[in-house]
Amino acid sequence: MVELFFQQLINGLSLGALYALIAVGYTVVYGIVQLINFAHGEIFMIGAFGAFVTWMLLGRPTDWSVATSLLVLLPLMIIGGMVASVATAVATERFAYRPLRNAPRLAPLISAIGVSVFLQEFVRLFFGTIPFVGRIPGWPDAKSAVPFPSIPGISGQTIQLGGVLIQMPAIFTLGALAVSTVFLWYFVNRTKTGRAMVATSQDPDTARLMGINVDRVIVAAFAVGAALAAVAGVAHGLRYGNIDFRMGFLAGLKAFTAAVLGGIGNINGAVVGGLVLGLAEAMATTFIPGQFGSSAWKDVWAFVLLILVLVFRPQGLLGAKVVDRA
Amino acid sequence: MRTVIPDELKIQLRYPARAVGLVGAVAMIISVFLPWSYGHGALDDVGFSGSPSPLQLVFLTLPVLVVVLLGVPLVGKAKLGRWAKTVAWNTTAKTTAIASLGAVVVAMAAIAIELGGLVNIEVGGWVAVAGAVLSAVATIFLPDSPEPTLSRVKTARWVQILAIVLVLAVVLFSAAYALGMSDAGAFLVFAAILTGLVLALRQFGVFGWLGNASANNNRVLVVSAFAVAFAFPFTQNGSNANMSIASQVLIFAATALGLNIVVGLVGLLDLGYIAFLGAGAFTAAILSESAFSTVNFHPPFIVTVLISGTVASILGLIIGAPTLRVSGDYLAIVTLAFGEIFRITMNNLDGTDGPNVTNGSDGIPGIPDLNFFGFDFAQPHVIAGIEIGRFANYYWLMLVVIALIIVVFTNMNHSRIGRGWVAIREDELAAEAMGVNTFTLKLLAFAGGAFLAGVAGSVKAHYDVSVTPDQYVFLESAFLLAAVVLGGMGTVGGVLIGATILKLLPEKLRFFSDYRLLLFGLLMILMMRFRPEGIVADERRQLEFHDEDEELADEIEEELIAHHGHLNPERKGFEL
Repeated sequence: MVELFFQQLINGLSLGALYALIAVGYTVVYGIVQLINFAHGEIFMIGAFGAFVTWMLLGRPTDWSVATSLLVLLPLMIIGGMVASVATAVATERFAYRPLRNAPRLAPLISAIGVSVFLQEFVRLFFGTIPFVGRIPGWPDAKSAVPFPSIPGISGQTIQLGGVLIQMPAIFTLGALAVSTVFLWYFVNRTKTGRAMVATSQDPDTARLMGINVDRVIVAAFAVGAALAAVAGVAHGLRYGNIDFRMGFLAGLKAFTAAVLGGIGNINGAVVGGLVLGLAEAMATTFIPGQFGSSAWKDVWAFVLLILVLVFRPQGLLGAKVVDRA
Repeated sequence: MRTVIPDELKIQLRYPARAVGLVGAVAMIISVFLPWSYGHGALDDVGFSGSPSPLQLVFLTLPVLVVVLLGVPLVGKAKLGRWAKTVAWNTTAKTTAIASLGAVVVAMAAIAIELGGLVNIEVGGWVAVAGAVLSAVATIFLPDSPEPTLSRVKTARWVQILAIVLVLAVVLFSAAYALGMSDAGAFLVFAAILTGLVLALRQFGVFGWLGNASANNNRVLVVSAFAVAFAFPFTQNGSNANMSIASQVLIFAATALGLNIVVGLVGLLDLGYIAFLGAGAFTAAILSESAFSTVNFHPPFIVTVLISGTVASILGLIIGAPTLRVSGDYLAIVTLAFGEIFRITMNNLDGTDGPNVTNGSDGIPGIPDLNFFGFDFAQPHVIAGIEIGRFANYYWLMLVVIALIIVVFTNMNHSRIGRGWVAIREDELAAEAMGVNTFTLKLLAFAGGAFLAGVAGSVKAHYDVSVTPDQYVFLESAFLLAAVVLGGMGTVGGVLIGATILKLLPEKLRFFSDYRLLLFGLLMILMMRFRPEGIVADERRQLEFHDEDEELADEIEEELIAHHGHLNPERKGFEL
């Protein structure tokens, strides 16, 4: 029983780390423009596909040594994923959200749903093709799941720790979250753009009066969230072994739940919320007795948690009292 | 449409431009009597000379309109009476000419695609292209007309009623004609022509006048619209294919109207609305006499409808009570999560992961057709010599349901509750400060909307014969929302149009089906960007979305004063 608990603790934390990496994107954008970027799940998906494309462009290496894979291949894939996701996020901000900045709040949210459907379909229809020309020979089709490349040293590797079996991808996810959190902390607290971001989220009008270029700050917020989502995309690929155009929907929804759980608008909250949500999901499948504890119900428990948080602590675990700025 | 051509040049060139435009229009008229294509396989056959196809005859309306619009001012507008000075002759001619160019281009593209290459276009096609280009280019050089003021012209009541009836009849026949088309290219050309005609009439000022006429004769409009909708099955001659599409459109429209209360009136973004439809459908399926039903209680349908609606609205209360207290953005996501909970739960209640209620992903098949006091919906009936099949029966039933929803909607809209809802939508804090009980009203809207969806779902269960969880996915919620947004949030007519477009287009453009969702996403983005108030705009909402546009505000104010005599668009209810 104790071993099972620790096993699920590790599973839950690594799943939670994945949610946390995506949740940061929701929280940063929401903190500044009060927009639920519904398409953020798709940004995560595009990050995973970007990493996959990078691997294809590198000549689909499968026999690189563990050291080169970890020090060259994986960083390159992450950077490739980031380029794809940041470019997409900035483009959606520019064309879908910025024109609607002063519109009623329903408008950007509906636009975001459109972006989400559009990006999913775009990847499904056009991945591996040159539009109006045809398929690129040898490239897989994204209409069904695409197998994610296995990275020597990570994919399929496990570590035995007492009675607990830890998958290497899980360690990668947790490590990525740790590194990203440090970077994020440095960015927000020590760089000019980061501090401008905090200022804008506290009071956009005053921030503008102090000479902050709010448009640039908003773009930076989208970019930071997208970069972390790309890391999550790679982690997802390594963890599950394949990626598909639909993967952003559920992951995005869960990550949003995590952001609300931690207190939306609060970056630390997103990390904590992600970890708590992952743990709750893992523990629910183990410790809820009877039929309702089967893994088929784990998503339901996650969403029930979301509703419970909204009832009892709408500001989230780490959030300050929510002030409705409507 | 303003162009960069200087006004002096336009005034100098007005006679030559008119002449060239007329020549182009006449060329298009002649082209209709010439073959457009060599083969006979395109656009439902446009390859005959001397005997135009129905599509070509429909096309004929555009160039004839151009001739009238360009010719009448030459002959003298004064003879037509005072109204002739209140409409936009030149600008409408320009719009019509450009629209006919659009239609011709679509037609030629369709011929080229369907028969393989531009070589298949015969002389008539090229004459049409040349004429359309000629008149479109020439009319650009016409001086712009002032904004039409036809809406201020006073007309006799019988003229207004006649116009309404005429418009509705045209709508009925175009709907019947469009549904009867099997060729996707022909359908697109027809849609292009129709869009062109609508734009032209709007430019001419007819729509402003019609809007006033229908506002003055609201009852007549509603009754005749229903008469037309009721008569639709008789135009189908017993064909089931179109009635099936039509009844699906109505089920979809009824659900969208329910969502419209929640989103359009109260401004609560519900992204899990399909779950309420699903709750109603599953309840009705379980209570039906299907052999796969899991309970042993089969009340008559009238009772089932009420139970389904109640189940859905209880779910609405459960989900709404906690979330309606917090900011609106949370509601969107919580309802989305609720939609997922619903779908997963329906999948899991299969006997292995939970108690067996829904048979899991297999769902409940074999739901019998409705039977009202011996009137069996499965049996075709013959009325006035025309066979009325199963789908037509459901179509009429849905028509009744929609009528009920519309009655509820409009009465609510003009009541104290409705004004409270709109106040919440506009500014919740202000509404609360003014003493509106925001939480209760929001909950009422949410549960009420869920009830309507539950009722629609119970009919859908019988119509679809089987109910499975995968019919109730998020994308369907997004489609419903799109119907509301596309048509115009908070309006009845707009949502009906939006629902019709979203259901009809995919049926008619099957070759496009792979790109359907891509275009759908793009449409939502573009709609929010360029016309967030939807096709049919609610007056208040239009102002809300364009609050910096002073010109539009003045225009709407003038319109309101012109046909209500005061600024308040609502005529019923007390004034504050």
